[in-house]
Amino acid sequence: MIGRGAVDLSVELPRGLRLDNPILVASGTFGYGVEYSEVVDIQRLGAICCKGTTLRPRVGNITPRVTETPAGMLNSIGLQNPGVDAVVRKYGPTWQGWHVPVIVNVAGESIDDYVEVARRLDGMPGVAGIELNISCPNVGRGGLQFAIDAEAAGAVTAAVRRATELPLLVKLSPNVADVRPIARAIEAAGADAITAINTLSGIAVGPGRRRPLLGNVYGGLSGPAIKPVALRIVYEVAQVVDIPIIAIGGVAELGDVLDYLAVGAIGVQVGTVLFADPTLPVRLIDELADECRRLGLNSYLPLVGTALPKRSSPMSAPSSKGVEYRP
Amino acid sequence: MVGASAGATGSLPRLARLPETGPSAPRVAPPALLEAAVVTHGLIAPEYWRLVLDAPAIARTVEPGQFAMLTVARGEESWPVLPRPMAIYGWDRAGGRIEIVYRVVGEGTRRLTRWSCGDRIVTVGPLGRGFVLLPAAQRIVLLGRGIGTCSLTALAGVAAARGIAVHALVSARHSDALVGGEAYRAAGAVEVREVVDTDGSSGVGPVGAWLAENCRTGVDQIYACGSDRLLRLALEMARATGTGVQVSLEAHMACGLGFCHGCATGHPGLVEESPLVCRDGPVFRHLPSAPVA
Ligand SMILES: Cc1cc2nc3c(=O)[nH]c(=O)nc-3n(C[C@H](O)[C@H](O)[C@H](O)COP(=O)(O)OP(=O)(O)OC[C@H]3O[C@@H](n4cnc5c(N)ncnc54)[C@H](O)[C@@H]3O)c2cc1C
Ligand SMILES: Cc1cc2nc3c(=O)[nH]c(=O)nc-3n(C[C@H](O)[C@H](O)[C@H](O)COP(=O)(O)O)c2cc1C
Ligand code: FES
Repeated sequence: MIGRGAVDLSVELPRGLRLDNPILVASGTFGYGVEYSEVVDIQRLGAICCKGTTLRPRVGNITPRVTETPAGMLNSIGLQNPGVDAVVRKYGPTWQGWHVPVIVNVAGESIDDYVEVARRLDGMPGVAGIELNISCPNVGRGGLQFAIDAEAAGAVTAAVRRATELPLLVKLSPNVADVRPIARAIEAAGADAITAINTLSGIAVGPGRRRPLLGNVYGGLSGPAIKPVALRIVYEVAQVVDIPIIAIGGVAELGDVLDYLAVGAIGVQVGTVLFADPTLPVRLIDELADECRRLGLNSYLPLVGTALPKRSSPMSAPSSKGVEYRP
Repeated sequence: MVGASAGATGSLPRLARLPETGPSAPRVAPPALLEAAVVTHGLIAPEYWRLVLDAPAIARTVEPGQFAMLTVARGEESWPVLPRPMAIYGWDRAGGRIEIVYRVVGEGTRRLTRWSCGDRIVTVGPLGRGFVLLPAAQRIVLLGRGIGTCSLTALAGVAAARGIAVHALVSARHSDALVGGEAYRAAGAVEVREVVDTDGSSGVGPVGAWLAENCRTGVDQIYACGSDRLLRLALEMARATGTGVQVSLEAHMACGLGFCHGCATGHPGLVEESPLVCRDGPVFRHLPSAPVA
């Protein structure tokens, strides 16, 4: 133990979503929380983002669905899940008894889908918030993802906002040319926080090089390999929105947490690395407290945004240096 | 590895989960996560390694055919990001140890070789639903190829201890790749037949004849792992004689705990999510009546 003195790692998000600490676990990498409850002290986590949940049950994609890549993995699970009603019935009572908040990750194929799932989650005991996964094809618009179009991202956020009083987090996709207009649209539509990022689109080649490896051809890249991309996106978004940002992407050690805080995140989610190291998030909580003690801080909040360019005023124009000027 | 990999079994008949309850349901205890100390680790043949871990919580409840997830990234390393599934080859319940035999095939298993005595490997297990010995079984046949035999060795020990006659076939590309024969003999198998590609003894003809001969004299169950070809032979025999077949499958895995849905078998169809190798398997059965594709 380093030094003395109490460190308060808690953080207050809008609409009364209070987290004991800024270390969350990412959707799809921690199931519904129950799976690890035997082996990890899950009640210590800042929050649990559960597996993607849709209106109707969904089966997964063609196999193989996962593979390892340099410093990461590709997955094409296909949002397999039993549907919102089954999720609430099966896990709601358990979540209700938990100290750790559970944020339900929601996916859909149309605005109506998202709204209906949110409506069914609204007021449901055990559900502390909603995280919208907008990296889904919008069937109504020829399968174009909500996440790649500011108007669509704003529209789905606004519609869900009207359907629920729950804290609403919206998750950005990195697979866009410029994420900032999308982030602004999401903020303007009433989101309480932004989470970033979802996986990067990628493929792998199969044995014998006769076809792509994943049954679905495309998969989402995650793990330490994507951290520089996620850092860049958090850095850019932090300069154009005022709502809190929770960073996701390859968190594997305390240094990663501190980096994300420095570029403006108020918290992080641990994802892929959990598979190999399920106790990592709990260790990170202790290490972050130790780091604060070492720095003589009683809260981690002074560590947020230290690497961002100084903003002349909160209303100042968004930085013009960004994706469009990169070599 | 020529594994009966889940993704590749599209042309095989539909799989069935082993029953959830009753005498032919596998025993399943909740998994434990531990930092298991390496007790012994070394090369046993070219490319093949034997690893003994001090893992009392796993050794206490493991059943034949179950597996563990081993994290190959060490301390400060943050990748490989996925743990590697490995069958539990054998165990010592009283001594609290489990044994794993693996073949170096890629980056993860290559890195696994670097662990030495006293190092602690993050290990989660026992996982999955293992093989089931039918209560009245008197004679069983085990068909394993390559590293696939590692899923079957423990079954031989448990069966022999119950007085069941074990006939084991160990198949490999060449004699250096024959694993499990020793373990079978030590377990008290009545017959261990080792066959290899280099002299043709592992071909469908000779192996089929051996299997047919065994089945003529009455076999209660056939257990297979590591080869689609062996599985096909077993299924042909099953159709002819009504013998039940249990097969252990492989699939790429992430969580090993049944929630990520990365390891689905690809069976049976579009309406219902296919069984998961890590949670519903790795052992599945083919009912005697199952139609052969
Ligand atoms: C239930 C089960 C039991 C197993 N038991 C054993 C055993 O006792 N001994 C043994 O040597 N091997 C066993 N395997 C196979 C073993 O998991 C793979 O050989 C190993 O994961 C390869 O890792 P790698 O990094 O060396 O290979 P790479 O090819 O570099 O691995 C890349 C990715 O693919 C995955 N992968 C590659 N081949 C396989 C495979 N055949 N099965 C599952 N995932 C694979 C890896 O886990 C990794 O995520 C078992 C697999 C399963 C599913
Ligand atoms: C197996 C797997 C399943 C995932 N499922 C979901 C999901 O259902 N919904 C979602 O919004 N993100 C999902 N993700 C993305 C993660 O939540 C996270 O955004 C991403 O993996 C980047 O973080 P990481 O590098 O720490 O894994 C999934 C990721 C993985 C690896
Ligand atoms: S490996 Fe995650 S469900 Fe099987």
